[in-house]
Amino acid sequence: MGIRRIRLLLVVITLLVLQTSVFTHLRVFDAVPDLLLVATIAMAYESGPMPGALFGFAAGLANDLFLTTPLGVSALAFALTGYAVGLFQTGLIRESRSIYPLLGGVGSVAGNILFILIGGIAGHDELFAAHHIQVIIVAALYDAVLANAIFPFMRWATRTDVGRAWPPG
Amino acid sequence: MVVYRREPQRVLLTVIIVAGVALIVMSGRFSGTLRSGAHDAMAPVRSTVDRAFQPLRNVAGDITDYRPLQAANQRLRRTAADLRGQLRRNRGVGAEVGELQKLIDLPNVEDATGIAARVTGGAPGNFDRTVAINKGSAKGMRVGYPVVTGEGLVGTVTSVSTNQATVTLVDSPNLGVGVRLETSNAVAITEPRTGDRSIPLAFISDPFAQVQKGELVFTAAVNNAAFPPAIPVATVTSYSKGPQDLAPTITVAPLVNLDNLDFVKVLRWPDPTAASG
Repeated sequence: MGIRRIRLLLVVITLLVLQTSVFTHLRVFDAVPDLLLVATIAMAYESGPMPGALFGFAAGLANDLFLTTPLGVSALAFALTGYAVGLFQTGLIRESRSIYPLLGGVGSVAGNILFILIGGIAGHDELFAAHHIQVIIVAALYDAVLANAIFPFMRWATRTDVGRAWPPG
Repeated sequence: MVVYRREPQRVLLTVIIVAGVALIVMSGRFSGTLRSGAHDAMAPVRSTVDRAFQPLRNVAGDITDYRPLQAANQRLRRTAADLRGQLRRNRGVGAEVGELQKLIDLPNVEDATGIAARVTGGAPGNFDRTVAINKGSAKGMRVGYPVVTGEGLVGTVTSVSTNQATVTLVDSPNLGVGVRLETSNAVAITEPRTGDRSIPLAFISDPFAQVQKGELVFTAAVNNAAFPPAIPVATVTSYSKGPQDLAPTITVAPLVNLDNLDFVKVLRWPDPTAASG
């Protein structure tokens, strides 16, 4: 296993631990951030649509293991979000860091809408609820803020020149 | 700017989509084992991180609360909740004598032994209404066991790993509870809605039942019920029945503050004589 893959695996485990321990206590207006979804968006931004989709599938599957919805709902939603963000990023000028919260917030809205659609089609009708509009908006704001921390983390994890150390330039 | 060749991408994307759909379709067969394994694998790390971040989470509380005072306050709150719950159960039992006479062999909540557990966190996702507790199959926990506090019903255990369990809360849209109204003894089923802390009742057995705001709602006494009878569940917050309505609209609010759970008791039910773990 390459060093890059090990770093990506560590990122997934770290974010999963934070998501399932610390952030379960930091619920705001019924919403918690989706750390692995933001990581997927960052992966797609750094590496393109297919790495974004593959990472999103793996990260989503890990996320699914701790939810009550069927396995595969987050995996599919995150993979499609990663792919879409990857396609979108090819047209971006990649200089400004101010794009991180914007991508994190917009990608979060897209990912959560996909999650609801896929989960609803899979039989969880309760996901189609007006209350979830509020949850999606608050989660997107949360994700936008945390994108400032997760994007540099993912940039470090996806880089191939192993000699360079944290923090990324 | 990076340019990607689209054709192989589309094939791979299709494979990912098919894999995702296949996972969803087959999820019911193996999700329990996988989830239990994942919880067990992550448990030590999560526990360590949880302990490490505990001071951070307490910062807000520590600003206003002196720690020993907070602990004493928690103990008193639990005692008060137990006493309130006992009082409510007495009210429920008093109104249920006739019903219990018909069901003389039906075990009740007093028969069920319990497992005390601490709530370790809420749901990790945005669309679940669950909490995690720190006891699992190692302590005899099983899926389907009812969860209560001194004040009343909290929910039911929906997944179990070795040292942890997930409890689906009573106001989750995924959980319906058979209930009985205090004065009329009419039975109904709770039908929670997403994001709404108050719960409408459905399938009310007596559409002409006289219901008063503030009256209690208990778990119903029926054979093979998922919950022991006479556990206080909620209090009636609204009642209306128009002249054209076939059934009344009754809304209840859970007695337990489900957003601020600390310790819970898991009842060994429907096998109340199960040996403690």
